[in-house]
Amino acid sequence: MRLVSLKARILFGASLWTIGHFMIIAVIFLNLRHESSQWMFHQRPAAPAGAESSFFLRVLHSTAQSSAATAVIGGLCMYVGFLQVRRGMSPINQLRNRLAAVHKGIDARVGGAYPAEVQPVVDELNALLDERERRVARAVAKAGDLAHGLKTPLAVLAHEAQQVRAAGYEQLAADLDQQIDRMRRQIDYHLARARSVASSASPGARASIAASAEGIARVLQRLHSERGMLIEIDAPASQAFSGQREDLDEMLGNLLDNACKWARIRVKLTCSREGEQVVIIVDDDGPGIEPSMREAIMQRGVRADEAAPGSGLGLAIVREIAEIYEGSISLEASPMGGARARLSLPGQDLV
Amino acid sequence: MRILVVEDEASLAKQLTSSFAEAGYAVDHAADGERADFLAQTEMYDAMVLDLGLPKIDGLTLLRNWREAGLRTPVLVLTARGSWHDKVRGIDGGADDYVSKPFRIEEVLARLRALIRRASGQLTPELRAGSVALDPRQSRVTLDGAPVKLTGHEFRVLSYLMHHRGRVVSQTELTEHIYAQDSDRDSNTVEVFVARLRRKLGVSFIETVRGLGYRIE
Repeated sequence: MRLVSLKARILFGASLWTIGHFMIIAVIFLNLRHESSQWMFHQRPAAPAGAESSFFLRVLHSTAQSSAATAVIGGLCMYVGFLQVRRGMSPINQLRNRLAAVHKGIDARVGGAYPAEVQPVVDELNALLDERERRVARAVAKAGDLAHGLKTPLAVLAHEAQQVRAAGYEQLAADLDQQIDRMRRQIDYHLARARSVASSASPGARASIAASAEGIARVLQRLHSERGMLIEIDAPASQAFSGQREDLDEMLGNLLDNACKWARIRVKLTCSREGEQVVIIVDDDGPGIEPSMREAIMQRGVRADEAAPGSGLGLAIVREIAEIYEGSISLEASPMGGARARLSLPGQDLV
Repeated sequence: MRILVVEDEASLAKQLTSSFAEAGYAVDHAADGERADFLAQTEMYDAMVLDLGLPKIDGLTLLRNWREAGLRTPVLVLTARGSWHDKVRGIDGGADDYVSKPFRIEEVLARLRALIRRASGQLTPELRAGSVALDPRQSRVTLDGAPVKLTGHEFRVLSYLMHHRGRVVSQTELTEHIYAQDSDRDSNTVEVFVARLRRKLGVSFIETVRGLGYRIE
């Protein structure tokens, strides 16, 4: 689109509209005023007339003939004027659509070219988005610093608990361990949550399912290397999650790690598109989960009074992050014999 | 077996160092990235325990530099950064294992043993040679099933030779792997340790390859 000044275009369109309008009004007005003359004119077409009246009639005659053409030209002027004004307003519509795309998370910034009157607004909007993203990033970094800053002292405490146990205070050591574990879980949970709340608000992010899943699989092969797990990733390269890579890693990491813990030997991740959603399925060949236990497992480890050490939590984090992105997770029985986790997230195609 | 602990938090570093020493390792400690880099490039370690949030040079940068330079020493990353995204970056950066804080020291020790074992190509947790068995999990040595009492240095010499069973290990290499950096080294003492081990485990158990070093078949 050529970027004619918005002011000029609207002014031009409005002028055309007004001129056209006047022309049509003039035609109507003249026709009304000389209806009787026209009637006379029709009644006595051949009647001779005086010089004065003959001139008047000639004018009337030509007016009658040209009134149709004038009305057509006036209408055309109004139409073109209307088009010009509409076209002049189109950057505003474009801006609205682009802004909606940012809101929906499709774009990171307001894109497109705009006339000189609109461009400053767009620039200001983008500057605002920049600033907001910086602030969010800073807040997330601070939350991370806080969490990481707490973990080293916790590690020292955990070691002290070990000394306490060695000195024979078994109960005291067990209490310390339990509290340390609880603190660790709270930190992990709230850090993961803070991160995804913040990042789900920063628009335009996308992360490849395959890239994330393969990265996690490499980690798990290392961490479970003594067990020789078979981790199979079957995700098309085109599928992406409309969100941050960190959050996808956290969800897939917890799901696959959980599957590895329970699996005998095989874990499989598959991924497909269902409308706007990308559905990720993680299967294992372990013992599976009792249907009555499924809901409890998703909750486990979140509540502060939960005492079971080291279990659950992972799935609670996955659910929390998924829900922040308006996704969902459910547990079912797997055709591979064990448990199946079905994670549904907003998806898009990678170009 | 000799390890490098890279940790900037003083009390945690002290705890780790003493736990590893108790488990029979010779331990060096670096409190920042520069020191760690220097030690890793100049000394011989069987494994390294690396924190990521370090002063001067970040742990992940160190790790990537080492791997790029061809340093293959197994690295266990021990860090407060526990997210899965961090784990992927750590493993892709060249870490062999990843443990996040807080941790149980038994778990770190077990993972460290497994790393050292795998790096030297051993498949079973317990190392055997003839009638001698060495269990790194308990720092225990048995001869025909009967426990043998060894000093720290004797244990490290035996452990290193058994981890590299079938290969000739030079005196210098042995010295590099049994002493921490700040201890007095004397390669003659290696001969003393070997002699004591022979007395305890049988004369022919450790073979001397003249001019080259020692070997356990």
